[in-house]
Amino acid sequence: MSETLTAPPATPAETPGKRPSRVAEALWLVVPYVVSVVLAFVVGGLIIAAIGRDPIAAFESVLTTSFNTRFGTIETLHKWVPVLLCAYAFAIPLATGKFNIGAEGQLLVGATGGVALGILWSDLPMVVLLPCVLVAGALSGAVWAGIAAFLMTKFQVNEILSTVVLNFISFQLIDYVASHVWPDRGAGHPATTPVGEGALLPGIGQAPPMHTGVLLTVLLVIVIAVFMRRTSTGFEMRAVGANLRAAQVHGIRTSRLAGAGLVVGGAVAGLAGAIEVAGVHGKMLEGMQSNFLILGIIVGLMARGSMLALPFIAFGIAVLEVGAGSMQRTAQVPVEMVLIIEALILLFLLLSDIARAKIRRS
Amino acid sequence: MTESPRLEMRGIVKTFGPVTALDAVDLVVGRNEVHGLLGGNGAGKTTLMNVLYGLYRPNAGEVLLDGQPASIGSPKDAIAAGVGMVHQTFLQVDNYTVTENIVLGTDVPGPLRLDLSEAKERIRDLSERFGLTVDPDAVVEELPVGVRQRVEILKALYRGAKLLILDEPTTNLTPQEVDDLFGSMRAMVDDGMSVVLITHKIRETLSVCDRMTVMRDGRRVETIERADTDAEHLAEKMVGSTTDPGAAVDAAALGAVDADKVEEVLSSVGTTTAVAVRDLVVVNDQGHELIQGFGLELREGEIVGIAGVAGNGQVELAEALAGVRPLRAGTVEVTGRSMGGLATSAWLEHGVAYVPEDRHRDGILPTASITENLVLGSQRSDQVRRRGLIDWGAAKQRAVDAIAEFSVRANGPGTLVGDLSGGNIQRVILARAFARQPRMLILHNPTRGLDIGSTRFVYQQVRKATAAGCAVLLISEDLDEVIALSDRVIALYQGSKAGEWQHGSVDAYAVGRSMTGLGEARV
Ligand SMILES: Nc1ncnc2c1ncn2[C@@H]1O[C@H](COP(=O)(O)OP(=O)(O)OP(=O)(O)O)[C@@H](O)[C@H]1O
Ligand SMILES: [Mg+2]
Repeated sequence: MSETLTAPPATPAETPGKRPSRVAEALWLVVPYVVSVVLAFVVGGLIIAAIGRDPIAAFESVLTTSFNTRFGTIETLHKWVPVLLCAYAFAIPLATGKFNIGAEGQLLVGATGGVALGILWSDLPMVVLLPCVLVAGALSGAVWAGIAAFLMTKFQVNEILSTVVLNFISFQLIDYVASHVWPDRGAGHPATTPVGEGALLPGIGQAPPMHTGVLLTVLLVIVIAVFMRRTSTGFEMRAVGANLRAAQVHGIRTSRLAGAGLVVGGAVAGLAGAIEVAGVHGKMLEGMQSNFLILGIIVGLMARGSMLALPFIAFGIAVLEVGAGSMQRTAQVPVEMVLIIEALILLFLLLSDIARAKIRRS
Repeated sequence: MTESPRLEMRGIVKTFGPVTALDAVDLVVGRNEVHGLLGGNGAGKTTLMNVLYGLYRPNAGEVLLDGQPASIGSPKDAIAAGVGMVHQTFLQVDNYTVTENIVLGTDVPGPLRLDLSEAKERIRDLSERFGLTVDPDAVVEELPVGVRQRVEILKALYRGAKLLILDEPTTNLTPQEVDDLFGSMRAMVDDGMSVVLITHKIRETLSVCDRMTVMRDGRRVETIERADTDAEHLAEKMVGSTTDPGAAVDAAALGAVDADKVEEVLSSVGTTTAVAVRDLVVVNDQGHELIQGFGLELREGEIVGIAGVAGNGQVELAEALAGVRPLRAGTVEVTGRSMGGLATSAWLEHGVAYVPEDRHRDGILPTASITENLVLGSQRSDQVRRRGLIDWGAAKQRAVDAIAEFSVRANGPGTLVGDLSGGNIQRVILARAFARQPRMLILHNPTRGLDIGSTRFVYQQVRKATAAGCAVLLISEDLDEVIALSDRVIALYQGSKAGEWQHGSVDAYAVGRSMTGLGEARV
């Protein structure tokens, strides 16, 4: 007796032939990015002109360095890896509504875990040692973020606070490891001795080779996409982010899940640390966290909740970062200009949300 | 020349992408008039009023206020033009006082030295004049919904509204509060204002409105004087014909006809006990015991109705029996299994389904699609997963079916639930609950905000579930609904059972007395 109620869903509502085309939907997604980037470059160009430099030359070197030489391309891909992984470290907990500001600490502790095995077990063959180094990196990052997760779920300590504090502790930790545990006295800068041969990620191609951490990252992109979209846990994370109360009422253990999100984020950042050790530096050194934390946050915010967008945005940011150095050389524009442009893109993107809401209403 | 009407909307068209929400709608509201705006879920009532209030810009059409063309681009313009609106969900700053909330957003001299004494005087004056009793110094978060609503109305009056829009204001109110509200509305129109009242309840429309406009599917069906119409006529205009079997029962529950015209409902009460609740104690978030020693037995296929005035422990009872709120003391057994202390997910898996009262807060993921919302709660069940992963293709197909079966007015399964009309959101929530084929179903105000057609449909679904052996606990503030639907009625007063009646021997007045603590003896 399952009769449907009232009339079938109002026919006048669905005007035939005017389906929301996928093209239109995609445009709604892409246009704000294009507009924001263009606007950011316009404003950035004005600033460059104001300090008496040539904006065209500056932008040319920023945008082409990555593609003109093999060296630039490889460097861009090598930058893409930690930027993207730190962006995941920020975005995954954000899906459950938690702010992980600790990616650099997790990266450093991950690097420490990786470097420790790489030095202690340096005689082991690569098939054994390299996976150990990478796993150790991920686990160390997970444990480090796990401290914040534990404080958050057990004692309601704000995760922003704890992850930031843990960053500072991690600086001390790697300083201690690099100057007291396995110091490389000849380096002239706090750094550890190199890891064993077997701990290094093999390279692809010649002069310079691309490390296979790039391929590993591509794989991880796919795994994370499937995880968020297809697994129950991924769905639950999105549900918690969308409406915490409703998620609870429907049987999702929200605080456990938020904690898990932080730990997973930490693991990804830790893996980034291990990849930096095994693929780029061959050891751990002070300052290796670079500005990956802030770049990761920028990328994570720019993606506005879309895990799929992260790899592409991270690539764009890597291009800018790599181009920054050559811009300084060729156009005498300070490298900081690039960070300003990145911040401007983010700003315009956030403004575009407001504009879009207005346009959609009318 | 006759006086021009207070409001005239002509040929208003509003589309959202491919959806035409308003299709050339006209609306005329006279001076000193309470104008009822009726229509099914998704008919376009809220959208029409949002256009008037400047929240949406129409694609076509014009608005005239007091005969003058008005261009209203934002709520600010609307307020300046003398239009005030009270939405169903209020935007209030919880830890501010009533006065601060009312003054918020108006021009006050210097934020640092806020002198509110004058404002307070005006608020007192307004609240006396229109019978909107409220303490200007009370902190908003401590006020019940009914009083918060008065604050919202006062906010509009304080800003000089001549035309007040109330969007389904009565759904959260007790019968007494409804009477008070209608009294205030009368006082307003006597004072020269005009009021637009959006409601699904025909009885309310008939008792307070001077004229009404009925909408259906984004169009205006008819505008009619109170004197020229009756309940049956209005119901017919809203849904079409009302002459099928079973309609009388539901119509009674909706207040469209008298309760004693209703015949007996065939029930499907079994002999096995499905749910046993003993000595239940539940505390609210502040730690107060709002359910005190409550006991209840539900047999398979039985519908037990809990009648009560809001705030007598209904939310706590519902949440405790749904496994969402821990039991302070006592036991709950569902089909023989003791559920106390288990995680919410275990209750869900054991066949307990819950339709919460606060649908926006507890029921939906607003930024997720209908498909995803229907999956919520069963994301770990084998129904939804294939080889460990969620099968979205199948989920989408089920969503398409649910949309058709529950007549959800939406573009498709990908529509975000936050974009649906109030009643359509509830349809999604109900579709989800019934799809679980529950053993125990807890319904808290399930038909609030639903139109007649949807309400009838819900009743049919409930009966279908009981025929399959599901035990139903119907917690509702709508006494007519409880009496019409339940095999047994329990009155809840201050967290305890204050009376119990079998179907057929229910005396509405006795239930009413027990609900308000005036019953003879506790059972
Ligand atoms: N922001 C929006 N985006 C897309 N569609 C919308 C939006 N707002 C309303 N609609 C659609 O417009 C139609 C009318 O909605 P509206 O909220 O006006 O209905 P209503 O008459 O108030 O119904 P109810 O009684 O359920 O509250 C619905 O089909 C709804 O899905
Ligand atoms: Mg509405």
